[in-house]
Amino acid sequence: MKGIAISYAVIAALIAAGPLVLGEGALRFSTECLLILAMAQMWNLLAGYAGLVSFGHQVFVGLGAYGLFLISDTFDLSPYWVLPVAPLAGAVVAAVIALPLFRLREAYFSIAMWVFSEIVAALVMKASWLGGTSGLPLKSSRLVDLDWFEPMLFWVSGVLALGTMGGLFLLMRSGFGLGLMSVRDNDLAAMSVGVDVRRNRFIVFVLSAAGCGLAGAVSFLGNLYVSPAAAFDVNWVVYMMFIVMIGGIGTLEGPIIGTAIFFGLRELITDQLGISAGWYLVALGTVGVVVMLWSPRGIWPPLRDRFGLKLLSVGRTAPATAELAPVSGKAGQLG
Amino acid sequence: MAWLETLVNGAFLGGLYGLLGIGLALVFGVMRLVNIAHGEFMVLAAYLAVILVSLFPQVHPLFVLIPVVLAAFAVGYLYQAVIMNRVARAPDPLAPLLLTFGVSIVLRNLMVEVFGADVRSLQLGELSRASLNLFGLSIGVMPLLTLVAAVLLFLLLQWALKRTQFGRIVRATADRRDIVRLFGVKPDRVYNYVMGLSLALGAIGGVLLAVRSSFTPFSGVERLLIAFEVVVLGGIGSFWGALLGGIVLGMAQLAGLKWDANAGLLYAHLLFFVMLLIRPAGLVASKA
Amino acid sequence: MTLLEVAGLDVFHGDLQAIFGLDFSVAEREAVALVGANGAGKTTFLRALVGLIDSKRGNVRFDGGDIAATPAESIARLGLCMVPEGRMLFDTLTVEENLLMGQVSQRSGSWNLRRVFDLFPALEERRNHMPRQLSGGQQQMVAIGRALMCNPRLLLCDEISLGLAPVMVEQIYRAFADIRTEGTALVLVEQDVKRAASASDRIYCLLKGRVSLAASAGDVSLNELTQAYFGM
Repeated sequence: MKGIAISYAVIAALIAAGPLVLGEGALRFSTECLLILAMAQMWNLLAGYAGLVSFGHQVFVGLGAYGLFLISDTFDLSPYWVLPVAPLAGAVVAAVIALPLFRLREAYFSIAMWVFSEIVAALVMKASWLGGTSGLPLKSSRLVDLDWFEPMLFWVSGVLALGTMGGLFLLMRSGFGLGLMSVRDNDLAAMSVGVDVRRNRFIVFVLSAAGCGLAGAVSFLGNLYVSPAAAFDVNWVVYMMFIVMIGGIGTLEGPIIGTAIFFGLRELITDQLGISAGWYLVALGTVGVVVMLWSPRGIWPPLRDRFGLKLLSVGRTAPATAELAPVSGKAGQLG
Repeated sequence: MAWLETLVNGAFLGGLYGLLGIGLALVFGVMRLVNIAHGEFMVLAAYLAVILVSLFPQVHPLFVLIPVVLAAFAVGYLYQAVIMNRVARAPDPLAPLLLTFGVSIVLRNLMVEVFGADVRSLQLGELSRASLNLFGLSIGVMPLLTLVAAVLLFLLLQWALKRTQFGRIVRATADRRDIVRLFGVKPDRVYNYVMGLSLALGAIGGVLLAVRSSFTPFSGVERLLIAFEVVVLGGIGSFWGALLGGIVLGMAQLAGLKWDANAGLLYAHLLFFVMLLIRPAGLVASKA
Repeated sequence: MTLLEVAGLDVFHGDLQAIFGLDFSVAEREAVALVGANGAGKTTFLRALVGLIDSKRGNVRFDGGDIAATPAESIARLGLCMVPEGRMLFDTLTVEENLLMGQVSQRSGSWNLRRVFDLFPALEERRNHMPRQLSGGQQQMVAIGRALMCNPRLLLCDEISLGLAPVMVEQIYRAFADIRTEGTALVLVEQDVKRAASASDRIYCLLKGRVSLAASAGDVSLNELTQAYFGM
């Protein structure tokens, strides 16, 4: 536990110092990495811990972004102060659609989320007060000090990423987290010991929507522009999914590895090899398919099991090992 | 009158939508798998058709369906044999879902790189525009033929499943994958045939849709969502329900377009969502 | 003529061993009873024989050929068939369609639809019914008939009498006599020791995955059987 707390503090310090050390390009890139990591963890929370695969999470990214732009411009407030609207927008919408959507299981839930996202995207595209298909510029950008803009975005993204990871870590070690994992593995059994399956799933769904909303808002804030095609692009959920799939679903370390591979691959293919972005997606998809065939749980779990690594272990337990964290929160192996 | 025409044409469109969904329903019914890449395979079939038509201009475009359907069957068989059978047995229901999503990404972007993002369509010349006058309504010939084709295919599928030994084997494998081995059946082989059939049916839908409207490598998403909505609306487990679901969606789609020309699939999607709220079991009581 | 010869069979469920060094044999036209308490490993043993369980080691020879590594589909075509525990009928197929599944392995022999209906007349009346519309006993008849349609040389019957009224069980066991005269060997797995013993030539008793008794049906007393059953 101490090891983790120390690493956490070190990373927080690194993030605080980031803007002083990194050039603008590197800062931008790091911001992007942190945001994608945060989104991936949110998707992981839903899929890996609550067992719900969403193909429509891009809707929360878009809603968060549009919420930010709309409120900030309408009330002429600095976008930094309006940021809390973004997770709220995601959370509220998630809370509302949870009711009809939770009736569906597995693949049907996944695709229904996708349909919902397409509906919202279509509605936004038709709304001229939201800029229609062209989108909205951030008019309140003049309220922003452009010298500090990149650093601020970096810090917010850092806080989001660290906050998500820290929050997830604590959540999973709590009684709630234990309940969640039991729901993921066998909801009938979980119900029979009194775990409120629907309530837990609901909470996780809303949390993951909120997280994506905030990440989406920060991402588009960085562009000072939001358009429906970009905001509700299915590729957001493609990235989230692939990072989690490849890295290791249901673990906290997995998405970190996945994010590294994601960006590594992208830089390699588009920058170093100069190949177009389309081929990058082909490569990403192929890696995903291959990983699913050879190691359906992702890259991290086999590595972890083979070398006995335990970095942020509160992960979904493999059936053979009985690695349940007792409710008091001590997983034992972390001193 | 104009509204009646819209509804009738919507029903015809619905036949096409039913065709889009039937392949998905078949795979889910037998293997409990949702093939997210189903849409992309349909678009791939359309591209193949366009290529064949340009290579053999002397042949009537519709005849191109024959090689395309055969190719689709072969691709489906291989897809299942090489990739899907490995993951169909995974205890984790997420793995096939994520894998087929991955395949759809690969196919979609591969098509962009190879064929380009331009809009294509399949030209049938006069036939695309021909219309009949029936009971005072103007009815497109192609849409009518498409509905007829859809109904015939549904009947053929039903006959194959209910009255042939192959159909019995497929249904038995869907019921009990392990026990069916005790009777000399290889479940994996059955799945190969079913996926082949699914993609073949999808190919027909994909090609006919390409005649009716244009497509790009990104059209797979639309087709998948329609196919899915058709299956869910019709009641998971009911084939004729899928046709009915398609017809309802088709009507909603055209009615919506009449009122709001730029809406795309919005009204179809909205209808689906509303139906999900009020009748989650689907239009036809399913035996799921 | 030994039809089935098992030597030193170990069967595993994941990491857990369920069967330990089992020796077993069935001769042509013989009826062998396999009894034991719940969890003794009877079903596991049958499923391993028929190829549904892969994690096993040891010798299994059927009709002279080694089938230890043969897949289930091929074992069925060789004539080693099973009536599974719990019947496991195909729920979306009618009674007749269930029976016809037996013909898929294309083995020749004297069993066909007509003969199965003669053996179980109640099924003929219900040939177009769905399994869920039948009583437990009738479902059991379908399960047996389905396996017979494979024209098996050796039929493994797992807990046929479970959950059935005694009258039903009588009727089914009478059918077994007919099945035997056609030349099919039988393995009868039952929890009801007396019933199985009365219909068989030899008895094996399984206790916690091991053979605790192997004898001719006539040579063993109820007392000895009970002891072997409970491990006393």
